[in-house]
Amino acid sequence: MMSTNNRTLSGSVAPIWHRLRKHVPVEIPGAVAVTLAGAVLATTVAPFRALDWSLWVIFGLLALSFTFVWGRAGIFSFGQTAFFGIGAYAYGVLGIDLFPQTGETTTALVAAVVIAAVVAATLGYFIFYGNVGDVYVSIITLAFTLVLLTFMSSTADPSYHIGQALLGGYNGIVGVPPLMLPGGGQMVSPNGLLFTCVAVAAFIGFGIHLLLRRPFGRILAGLRENELRTELLGYDVRRYKLVAFTIGGAIAGLAGGLFAAWGTSVNPNVFSLPQAALVPIWVLVGGRRSLLGAFVGVAIVQGVSDALGGGGGSATPIVLGTLLIAVVVLLPEGVLPTLSALARRFVPALGRASVAAGPAGRTGSPLGDSVIDDSVIDDTVIGGESRKATSITAVDVHKRFGGVAALAGASLEVAPNGVHCLIGPNGAGKSTFFNMLAGRYRPTSGTVLLGDEQITLRRPDERARRGIGIKLQVPSLYGELTAFENVWLAAYGAKRDIGEADVRARGALAWLHLSEKARQPAGELSHGERQWLEIGMVMASDPKVVLLDEPTAGMTREETMRVVELIHDLARTATVIVVEHDMEFVRQLGAPVTMFHEGRIFTSGSIEQLRADERVLDIYLGRGTSHAAH
Amino acid sequence: MTVQPDQLANLTLSLLSSIALLAVISLGLAVLFGMMGVINLAHGEFLMLGAFFTLTGVRHGLNLWVAMVLAALAVGAIGVVVERLLIQHLYGRMPATMLATWGLSLILVQVVVLIYGPASNGIPTPLGSIRIGDYSVSEYSLVLVGAAVLLLGLTYLVLTRTRYGTMARAAVMLPDMAAAVGVDVRRTNMLTFGFGSALAGAGGALLAPITAVVPSMGQTYVGRAFMTVVVGGPGVVAGTASAAGLLGGVNSLVSNLTTSVLGTAALLVVAIVILRFLPTGISGYWERKR
Amino acid sequence: MRYPHARIGLGTVAAASALLLTAACGANSATDAGSDSKGPIPVGSILDATGPLNVIGKPNIDATNLAIKDINSHGGVLGRQLKLISYDAQSDNAKYTQYANKLTLENKVSVVMGGITSASREAIRPIVDRSKTLYFYNNLYEGGVCDKNVFNTGPVPSQQLAPLIPYATKNFGKKIYIVAADYNFGHISADWAKKYAKQAGATVVGTDFIPLESSDFGAVINNLQAAKPDVVVSLLVGGNHTAFYRQFASTGLNKSMKIVSTTFGDGSEHIVLAPKESTGVTVAFPYFQELKTPENTAFVSTWHAKYGQDYPYVPNSAVTVWNGWHLWAAAVEKAGSLDRDKVIAALESGLSIDSPSGKVTMNPGSHHVTQNVSIAEANDKHGFKVLTTNADVPPAYENSVCDLRKNPTTNKQFTP
Repeated sequence: MMSTNNRTLSGSVAPIWHRLRKHVPVEIPGAVAVTLAGAVLATTVAPFRALDWSLWVIFGLLALSFTFVWGRAGIFSFGQTAFFGIGAYAYGVLGIDLFPQTGETTTALVAAVVIAAVVAATLGYFIFYGNVGDVYVSIITLAFTLVLLTFMSSTADPSYHIGQALLGGYNGIVGVPPLMLPGGGQMVSPNGLLFTCVAVAAFIGFGIHLLLRRPFGRILAGLRENELRTELLGYDVRRYKLVAFTIGGAIAGLAGGLFAAWGTSVNPNVFSLPQAALVPIWVLVGGRRSLLGAFVGVAIVQGVSDALGGGGGSATPIVLGTLLIAVVVLLPEGVLPTLSALARRFVPALGRASVAAGPAGRTGSPLGDSVIDDSVIDDTVIGGESRKATSITAVDVHKRFGGVAALAGASLEVAPNGVHCLIGPNGAGKSTFFNMLAGRYRPTSGTVLLGDEQITLRRPDERARRGIGIKLQVPSLYGELTAFENVWLAAYGAKRDIGEADVRARGALAWLHLSEKARQPAGELSHGERQWLEIGMVMASDPKVVLLDEPTAGMTREETMRVVELIHDLARTATVIVVEHDMEFVRQLGAPVTMFHEGRIFTSGSIEQLRADERVLDIYLGRGTSHAAH
Repeated sequence: MTVQPDQLANLTLSLLSSIALLAVISLGLAVLFGMMGVINLAHGEFLMLGAFFTLTGVRHGLNLWVAMVLAALAVGAIGVVVERLLIQHLYGRMPATMLATWGLSLILVQVVVLIYGPASNGIPTPLGSIRIGDYSVSEYSLVLVGAAVLLLGLTYLVLTRTRYGTMARAAVMLPDMAAAVGVDVRRTNMLTFGFGSALAGAGGALLAPITAVVPSMGQTYVGRAFMTVVVGGPGVVAGTASAAGLLGGVNSLVSNLTTSVLGTAALLVVAIVILRFLPTGISGYWERKR
Repeated sequence: MRYPHARIGLGTVAAASALLLTAACGANSATDAGSDSKGPIPVGSILDATGPLNVIGKPNIDATNLAIKDINSHGGVLGRQLKLISYDAQSDNAKYTQYANKLTLENKVSVVMGGITSASREAIRPIVDRSKTLYFYNNLYEGGVCDKNVFNTGPVPSQQLAPLIPYATKNFGKKIYIVAADYNFGHISADWAKKYAKQAGATVVGTDFIPLESSDFGAVINNLQAAKPDVVVSLLVGGNHTAFYRQFASTGLNKSMKIVSTTFGDGSEHIVLAPKESTGVTVAFPYFQELKTPENTAFVSTWHAKYGQDYPYVPNSAVTVWNGWHLWAAAVEKAGSLDRDKVIAALESGLSIDSPSGKVTMNPGSHHVTQNVSIAEANDKHGFKVLTTNADVPPAYENSVCDLRKNPTTNKQFTP
């Protein structure tokens, strides 16, 4: 990088160019380029074609909103058409009411976006703060869409009007003004509309691209990949989903407003089931994650059905249906991803060039994940500021599941720093206790303290932000994200600072000796490496207290030995609690041990002391009657 | 307004037949969704095929009830073919399944249009009507209630009391384990898909004498069937029965007391509210309570 | 996405090149306008050949093709043949907008006909208005459209209900119950039914509106049993609503009350239902296949010659479409020109044609037609038995509110 020369050369062109490159994200020239292409396009095509293509771009925006909400944030929402329809109706009503005063309709368009966003936010709040599950989200959003269909269809009576605009029932709103820019006083021509749509789509598309490169985008990716893990890293999952859903709603609303301006009429068909199903179809055909794919999918599906309507005869639905099935079977990733994979394979230069211009080289990148070496380890193990370890205390905790008491009054105080092991046979309550500390269960009664702070009723993400790092028994990583992104998300969850998160993430990988695998998807790492990576994520999140549930399950001896070292490193800055079955591992940790039995704490001491205790052996081997009353 | 006993009896029957209708149109979908996690967007068209097969059977001189059973079996057979040719390649890919079954639904509708035309002669509602005081009730609506109970019972027995049912549930809950202990997961999935399709066919066959049998009829029912299945949650029989009871009951009650428009709206609003407060559906809530 | 930055380069390049590529194609394939004065005259039609609306779309399309063939076989218009450009809107309203754009901007047709639902008409209307292309809407609808550029040949509620309600009151009884589809057509028709009922001295004992997607009529059947009307006025539409007649019959209500309707048959209800369910339903339409006039006998035999003897039934809407084309052709001949304003003037001259349904006259002021309205009863052969024919029934409401000769700039839909 040449940024050191900036000061000496100030005044000449080069540094300005550099500073521009540094501060102007690459998306802006991208959007400008597409807009210019749109201008060229709009001046050359016939008006009827400009109108057709305008519609495709508008539908493309709608599809894009779904790509963002589903492909990127993992929320399968049938509601995009609802927000699209709300945007269309809002534009229709406000266009009719405001146009006579203002002589333009951009206000109505902006209002359409705002109204759709507000409705999306309200519905999203209702859904996500109710912890509604995945499939159920899609059905709630579908039901919501159908409620609007039912309502709008039954507004035929002239008493349903807003200002001058009659809602018009099934016929819809008629006399919607076309797009009128301020100061023009004239409707935008078909070709002008195409240009406007392309420009709007370009800036929205590249805006989303930019957003996805920000931490927000990486968090959304995490959310999509593994919601639980993301929550345990301190992210309020509900809030991120809500924000994503609202943005998606706003974009769909914008598309809806443009749709109303395009057709100069709106009717309840926008809320119909076929329309709702069409949106995921576009996106699946184009490629579910690809922003450009949203537009490609629309162009293919609408292009084919438009063409067939002109002469496909009665075979149109059969051709369309076959096309959809063919896409699923032959191009499971969607058309665009398949094409770009092909392009990369046959034109290697394309792939290389864009990768080379990728992360490290591109200065505008807010997330620099440049390559790291293992030499940065310092006193604080992985670098950066560290928080102080604190104690964690449980007082008389009970937990009942239906009629079963999983915990019946467990109390434990673990002093700051050092390692502490929890053992016990299956069903002893140690896992329930662990989840109680992690915040995944709420105790029936009793309190949990972090240091002096009451955290009994805190959600896992709130605990994580307060400095509890958690590794669950089941491996829980972001398989499709890189190793670096995995630890980065952990670090950012704690620090909320890009620079600091970069430092900590690099440090954590170096600490794990995984630096050279930083760019590999976590899902491709070996079993042991994945387990280490998870411990690295805990470390990167700079915890005061660490909770590890069976961290060596399924590991080889050597891998286990490495984990012992890692845990000892962790214990230098944090209080570490390990739930473990493997007695040999517990012995190697050399830590004090607490044993659970029948939902209570049975005994505590060193591993040697427990091994010498006959009662402990009785419980483990299930012999004797006095202790193992199952 | 005082409610007369005959009015009450009539209202109750109308309630029950609405519930039964919802149950029979949803059950097949519930099996596919609850047992296999397949979202079959062609479910409405499977219903439609059941209705058209019944129609064809009757036209060729078959007894209506025989035609209904054969129609259900025929749709089951089509389900098996669809599973073999298409669905089996898509397990675990929910969105892909949706796209493919949507494509399938477009094709099925148009194939039926090409064979039967956009409108074809239907079959009348069989049986007569019975009088309850001032009111009369179609006897077929009692048949519908009986058939709903029968189909739910049959599904329960097949899934819990047969070797196939045990294997099917095992294949769903622990596919690897099931395969390891010798369950032919491929065959089980095929049978489950066939079974669910046959139930959809039976639903369509039962609809044939009370609705207009037209190629586009599937679209009317598919939305409501989905609502019922999802509100019902993962338990196939308990979920379908409870959700149909709740949604059908609310719809019918509100329609009877106010207007049909409010009845439709009430069904949707109840579905939304239920899912908000019981995020895994009714049977999911029961399972968690246990 | 593994390398979020890697894709932008490729994406931008692909997007920009795709746009430019399509621009090039678009520029090349802009077709020539078919307005040279010797070749065939391009005319346009948009209807639903596929999707749920094909129940109505199919006979509409068959009628369109037959009408064009008929006009061409009689020498065309102004000595030129007609070239029909037709699109299948696939029961999707956005497609109506697209194809209307295409017909007016690309194909430069002289007239656009089509649209089945009122929503599809409202999608077409602003586009043909803007491009000043004449437009015919040929289906039964709720009435009230008043637009210089638009002509309507379908019957309107006041036209059908004016003879039907008095007939029902006289023959079946004075207690009336209205069951209507819950949308514009149903609401407006219900208002007319109430008005004519009052004029005929009948009482309306109840009105129910049914959502279009509803096919469970349990609640309505119960209401009917409680109210015990003599006459049920059915203003239901579409495949879902056909279930009403079936559930009505299966409860045995067809023994104690009579159904009269202005919609039964337009959506092939009498085909889909069994004879024992539909027999006795009394309807009012301008046209029935069974009409015994020389024009109709010839028309039906031509129809059967082209589409086969087993064609289920030639519905009213097929003939209103036929009428639309022939009215336009007659107007062009009269005007001696394809110029829109001249053709409008010809249509506004009290033009009439002899059609299979009898004499059809375009009202100069309202752009709706005066036509015969027959009352018929569904028979046991999936057809109708014509009972009486009322000659020259005017679109009274449209004539009373809409005068486009006096106020040519009116452009709205009147509602009572």
